[in-house]
Amino acid sequence: MNEYTVFHTMAWPSAYAIYFFVIGISSALFFFSALSWFREDYRPLRENAFYASFVLLAVGGLLLIGDLSQPGRFLNILNPAYLNFQSPLAWGGLNLISFGLVAVLYFFMMRKGDEVNGKRLAIIGSLLALGLPIYTGFDLTVHQHRPVWNTPLMPVLFVGLSLVSGAAVASFLTKGSEAANSAMRRMMLWSGGAVGAMLISLLGTTAYGGVGAELTFMFLTSGTLGLIFIGLGIIAGTAVPIVLLLAPLGRQQVGMMTASVLILVGGMALRYSILYGGQILQTYY
Amino acid sequence: MTQELLMSSTETRGRPGVRRYAMVIDVRRCIGCMACQVACKAEYDVPLGVFRTWVPYRVTGKYPTVKKQFLPRLCNHCDDPPCVRACPVEATYKLEDGGFVLQHYDRCIGCKACMASCPYNARFMLPEHRTYTDITKVVDKCTFCYHRVIQGLVPACVQTCVGRSRIFGDINDPNSEVSQLVARHATQVLRPEQGTKPHVFYIGADRSLTDYGRAVYHKDEQADIERAAFNRNKHI
Amino acid sequence: MLKLTRRTFLKASAGTTAAAVAAPSMLRAMEADLGGRDIDPVSLIERKSIPTNCHVCNIQDGALAFVENGRVVKLEGNPEHVSTRGRLCAKGNAGMWYSYDPDRILYPLKRVGKRGEGKWKRISWDEAYNEIAARLDDVLTNGHPNEIMLKWGRNRTGGVLERFMHTLGSATILNHTSVCESSKKIGMEPTWGPDIEMPDFANTKYVLNFGSNVLEAAYFHNPFSQRVTEGRVDSNMKIVTFDVRLSNTAGFSDEWIPVYPGTDGAVALALGHVILRENLQDSDFIENWTNVSVQELKDHYKQFTPEWAAKLSGVPVETIERIAREFATTKPATTYTYRGPAKHMYGSYNEKACMMLPIMTGNIEKRGGYCLPRGMGYDQPQPQPPKPATPSYLAHPDEYPLAGHKVSHLVPFWITEGKQKIKVYFSYQDNPVYTNPGADAVWGELFRNEELIPFYVCLSPFMGEEAQLADIILPDVPYLERWEPESMPSSLWPWLAIRQPVIKPLGEGKETRVYLQELIHKLDPDGSRGMKKFWGFKSAEDYLRKQFENIPGLKEAGGLDFLKKHGVWPIYGKLNPRTGKISDKSGREIAAEYGLYRKELSAADMAGAMVDGKGAIHKNGKVIGVQRKGRNYVGFPTHDRLINVRVDQWAEYGFNPMPTFKRMPWHENMKDDEMILTTFKLNVHKQSRTAAVKWLAEISHANPAWLGTETAAKLGIKTGDLIRIESGVGHIVTKALVTEGIHPKVIAVSTAHGHWGYGRLAQLKLKEAAGQYGAADDPDLKNVWWDDKGVHPNHIIPAVADPIGGSQGWYDTVVKVSKAQPGDKYGDMVADWNKHVQWYKEGMRYTYVGDMHRKMHPEMASWAGPDSVKHKATGGH
Ligand SMILES: Nc1nc2c(c(=O)[nH]1)N[C@H]1C(S)=C(S)[C@@H](COP(=O)(O)OP(=O)(O)OC[C@H]3O[C@@H](n4cnc5c(=O)[nH]c(N)nc54)[C@H](O)[C@@H]3O)O[C@H]1N2
Ligand SMILES: Nc1nc2c(c(=O)[nH]1)N[C@H]1C(S)=C(S)[C@@H](COP(=O)(O)OP(=O)(O)OC[C@H]3O[C@@H](n4cnc5c(=O)[nH]c(N)nc54)[C@H](O)[C@@H]3O)O[C@H]1N2
Ligand code: SF4
Ligand code: SF4
Ligand code: SF4
Ligand code: SF4
Ligand code: SF4
Ligand SMILES: [Mo]
Repeated sequence: MNEYTVFHTMAWPSAYAIYFFVIGISSALFFFSALSWFREDYRPLRENAFYASFVLLAVGGLLLIGDLSQPGRFLNILNPAYLNFQSPLAWGGLNLISFGLVAVLYFFMMRKGDEVNGKRLAIIGSLLALGLPIYTGFDLTVHQHRPVWNTPLMPVLFVGLSLVSGAAVASFLTKGSEAANSAMRRMMLWSGGAVGAMLISLLGTTAYGGVGAELTFMFLTSGTLGLIFIGLGIIAGTAVPIVLLLAPLGRQQVGMMTASVLILVGGMALRYSILYGGQILQTYY
Repeated sequence: MTQELLMSSTETRGRPGVRRYAMVIDVRRCIGCMACQVACKAEYDVPLGVFRTWVPYRVTGKYPTVKKQFLPRLCNHCDDPPCVRACPVEATYKLEDGGFVLQHYDRCIGCKACMASCPYNARFMLPEHRTYTDITKVVDKCTFCYHRVIQGLVPACVQTCVGRSRIFGDINDPNSEVSQLVARHATQVLRPEQGTKPHVFYIGADRSLTDYGRAVYHKDEQADIERAAFNRNKHI
Repeated sequence: MLKLTRRTFLKASAGTTAAAVAAPSMLRAMEADLGGRDIDPVSLIERKSIPTNCHVCNIQDGALAFVENGRVVKLEGNPEHVSTRGRLCAKGNAGMWYSYDPDRILYPLKRVGKRGEGKWKRISWDEAYNEIAARLDDVLTNGHPNEIMLKWGRNRTGGVLERFMHTLGSATILNHTSVCESSKKIGMEPTWGPDIEMPDFANTKYVLNFGSNVLEAAYFHNPFSQRVTEGRVDSNMKIVTFDVRLSNTAGFSDEWIPVYPGTDGAVALALGHVILRENLQDSDFIENWTNVSVQELKDHYKQFTPEWAAKLSGVPVETIERIAREFATTKPATTYTYRGPAKHMYGSYNEKACMMLPIMTGNIEKRGGYCLPRGMGYDQPQPQPPKPATPSYLAHPDEYPLAGHKVSHLVPFWITEGKQKIKVYFSYQDNPVYTNPGADAVWGELFRNEELIPFYVCLSPFMGEEAQLADIILPDVPYLERWEPESMPSSLWPWLAIRQPVIKPLGEGKETRVYLQELIHKLDPDGSRGMKKFWGFKSAEDYLRKQFENIPGLKEAGGLDFLKKHGVWPIYGKLNPRTGKISDKSGREIAAEYGLYRKELSAADMAGAMVDGKGAIHKNGKVIGVQRKGRNYVGFPTHDRLINVRVDQWAEYGFNPMPTFKRMPWHENMKDDEMILTTFKLNVHKQSRTAAVKWLAEISHANPAWLGTETAAKLGIKTGDLIRIESGVGHIVTKALVTEGIHPKVIAVSTAHGHWGYGRLAQLKLKEAAGQYGAADDPDLKNVWWDDKGVHPNHIIPAVADPIGGSQGWYDTVVKVSKAQPGDKYGDMVADWNKHVQWYKEGMRYTYVGDMHRKMHPEMASWAGPDSVKHKATGGH
């Protein structure tokens, strides 16, 4: 009782949640910039969203490397002799780096205004961008023993979260364009709705899962984590902004701004609580 | 186990021509003396705050009918180890002959994907400070005392086990003590539903000891006070 | 010549025990070696192995030290050691941290500033010798040699400390045994000779364990735990444990029976009552081998009904009856006791009552039964200094004539009362300021008083609570750095062993036998005082060589050189990896010898002997054996070679010579809100000295007070709450731990934590600089994450001695437990010297000269009183 106290740490602490958040937004912003080659209403976002995406990509990359205990060995991930294709992280590393390279090329084409190559790179880049939330989702999904994480929903949820958070950031970058604003409003509504729906099914499968899932549900819905997950993530960060955006106020600048801020807070809260939620219980085992 | 039950190419149990080491822990014989835990610390200069093996306990029953039982824990050297799958750089790998799951310390980037993927908390990050070993800030875990076993010695924790609760050997050899124990006794493994095929087999471990999550139902508040200190003060 | 002590009386000769038993295990077990080698996991280089003897605690298991780059990196059990069988406990595995403690003292220190202020000056050995020699000189020329006192806790020097004191002519030699288990010894010795039993756990079918926590502590934790698990799993033995709390042993046992503190004796007597009532005793054994008859025993036990015991102990009548029948009808069976029954005010009676059970059921010296200890002795180099001429009161207080292991915990009161003057005080491996009842409030008070203790020399490598109060500290060395002879009766096979330096003493550290010789040479440089001649050793090794020079068998095997190579002698066989047991050449487990008391006397022994009507064999004015059915047996090592169920010597002092029970007077009228404070040891700690061993401190560093669920609910206390525990002498403030595993009237606080000395890790003062006294730092201490160091209970435990055995009543303290009061802080330890004095005086009323003695012994009404007693010189041990 007063002896044998051995405790375990969580593998992935909060730095990872910030990374997920940042990289998700980066990827969505690139996607919006890329869409501008195909849809006029996204045009005002092309440069702004790209720059923001690129800065966030750099920040995310640094966060990821900085969180390694051996940041100097980051390049090992590119060493073909070491590469393990069974690991989502290996795919993720490749994805991240190729996305970075494509983004640089895209930047030059964008500056040159090269329609043809710009479009090509927009498509390639978008696919790679889409890969980022998908791989981060997979990063969690593959851990078969972790409640909450181990669901096929996870990559989709991360794509949804990426889009809704990205749209929230993008809504500040529209330079006041009506069309872009309303595109972002729609984007927030649809992806926010999708996220909401996925969260509800996630809660369901967790609450009625096995003993591990059930206990994880208890952790996720009570105490501080409950406040973060349910309070900030689901209510303040998902439900309230959707209601707000549907309400007349949501069509006005203030309303949208408020909703965007709430969505961002919620997006961070959800990533944090999902990351933690999947790990808490096992530290007791 | 026979060949038909092999499910992935990584599995070596029952594969002819290779050794497959395993540990049997007879919980009926474990007295919770912690000798194994400390011997392992010494063998590897394991720093404070992390453990390659540890011996948690449960107190069950109501006064005056109360029991205290221990469950020695360590890496299961899974036959289908998720940690190996998770590692992006193959810094953690499984040795075909012997079935040891090991680390290349100089390759590990410290992403902790393997820690996240191990269902047993068997892995940990080595802190920056150690007494005399300069392998730091990479992930580590029990090696099944690879360096001893290949030189004909049992693991350090087995060597010192006061209750002779830990038995080690080649489960592919039908005459080994581990094979015979597994054949003759009902054995348990931890979290079998995870498909990891653990190679640490328990004898006499009932579900009050092995169940995942049960400890949280019976939360020991004292441990929680300590856990808070651990989370507050650890430098890992 | 083997030195014969009571413990070593039954040395079995090495060669004769190697006969094998049949039926080896069917398993073709572990294919790999069980030990003896170790390899560096990084470089894969084999580490150098040196055999020695563990001394992290006092069990004395055989060890191997593995050295790499001049550093001890690993310890392991010596696979050639018959008791240890290659294994060490958690503490033994961590022993190198005694040597590498970053706060270790590596040169002599002299106090500057006030006592206990913590200011020290590094001095040379020569300066230290000069200071000490001057003080000793002063006593030897102007006073009485008994004014030089030496008290040890552990003394495994093999006679060095005694030689030193006898050289000085002082009899004021004390030990710590009265805070340890002395009443157990006193309960046993007059009954059958030795001070401990050797239960054959591996082969028994039934164990009644009274208050021994053998799986965590006790003598002999590691060797016995090995055999307890063997017995339990391999031969289906049942073990029933009586304890006031759920120790690991109780938690492992088939049955845990919580008893009301101090009442084991009553339960044991009632068990005996049932056995005798139902005629389940071994009448043959009783009639032939004890000094009472079955009828006498039956008559005597009539009074101890299960109903009577149930009322005192809380153990239900049915349980007592069932266990009595199980114990008496399962063969072989044994009891085992350690401090649980003994550490009470009448602990000697409790122990005696417990040991009656294997006696009356005839389980003595049988395979699987309750055996005599097997030990071995070694020599004292000649010439030896003579025994001091004048006895010392402190070493043999008049009020405790039966306390053969002394009453050292009352010494501070006696010095204060002026019973004996002390001018120079030496302490050796003894930290009474922490480990004794009253702790700092008693011993700290004594040591801080320069009038009572004008000069205090502490022989220790560590800045313990006692060393902090010294005038001079001599940097003795931990066990891995010294030479010592060793032997313990820790299995059915006797053995001799050594401790040898596996690394050179670190810094300026020196071992005891070296610096005491140098000190004597300083006192008597030319030998004119007649001291030097006892100290003519060329080196520490030379001293040891002389101790092992003439031991038959060992001498032929190579003497000390054999021991240097193997660590232990004799070597009974090889550690069998299939079984973990010692096997002979044929691969079968070595067999033990049983029935030692039935060894027959030789014709030479019988020459000139005379047999009386009762079969006692007399020779040269002594009884040397017992004749039964025409055969001449050696019997038991008592004055009449029988088991003395009736101890006549006790009656001389008005104590009951027959098995009996006395209730603690202050447990009789306890109020509802009062509880009994008990204290206990943990498997990973060794009293005061492991708090600075990082791997052990990591496992256990705090000691919340155990409280039963029901009791805690009544008091409104939850786990983690601050509580105040208040006794008659003070209070402590600590945290509560609510558990199902404790008697509702008991609160239990473990020892080993809550230090205010012993270096930075023990005190969690890791921000202070390491190596204050010359030792190297350990970078790993940067990883210490815990911030609770626990609270020590000893301040509030009054010093009370068993009037027979002289043992401290550790487990008797009546306390009030409540939620902490405003202003109480975690770790508060408040106790008062004057209150301690009052309690000491209260305790003295129960000695045979005290006014309560007769009241406690109405059955001894015909005793003529204290004045009738003729004082004999009592034997020290
Ligand atoms: N790990 C470890 N081992 C050690 C030591 C050590 O410090 N640490 N020290 C060695 C030494 S010096 C000694 S003397 C031995 C002591 O070894 P033990 O006597 O086995 O251990 P203790 O903890 O002193 O006390 C034993 C038990 O007595 C219980 N007890 C208290 N009151 C009663 C009672 O009234 N009745 C009964 N039945 N039980 C009661 C306590 O709860 C405790 O569990 O251990 C030796 N071995
Ligand atoms: N509350 C409570 N108190 C108890 C007990 C309990 O169960 N509960 N148990 C009691 C028992 S059974 C006993 S035996 C006593 C033991 O009491 P002690 O004998 O006083 O305690 P130890 O911790 O064995 O060692 C005492 C000191 O030896 C010194 N020392 C350590 N290693 C070495 C060395 O290598 N060389 C030298 N020269 N010195 C060294 C250290 O300064 C250490 O403080 O404690 C008793 N006190
Ligand atoms: S127990 Fe964990 S670390 Fe060990 S092999 Fe299995 S998954 Fe890997
Ligand atoms: S932490 Fe090291 S061993 Fe673990 S997955 Fe990452 S690179 Fe592999
Ligand atoms: S097998 Fe070796 S590394 Fe693993 S727990 Fe045992 S001693 Fe430690
Ligand atoms: S050494 Fe053996 S008996 Fe002791 S705790 Fe470890 S497994 Fe249990
Ligand atoms: S019980 Fe442990 S500490 Fe004590 S002598 Fe044996 S191995 Fe050493
Ligand atoms: Mo003791």
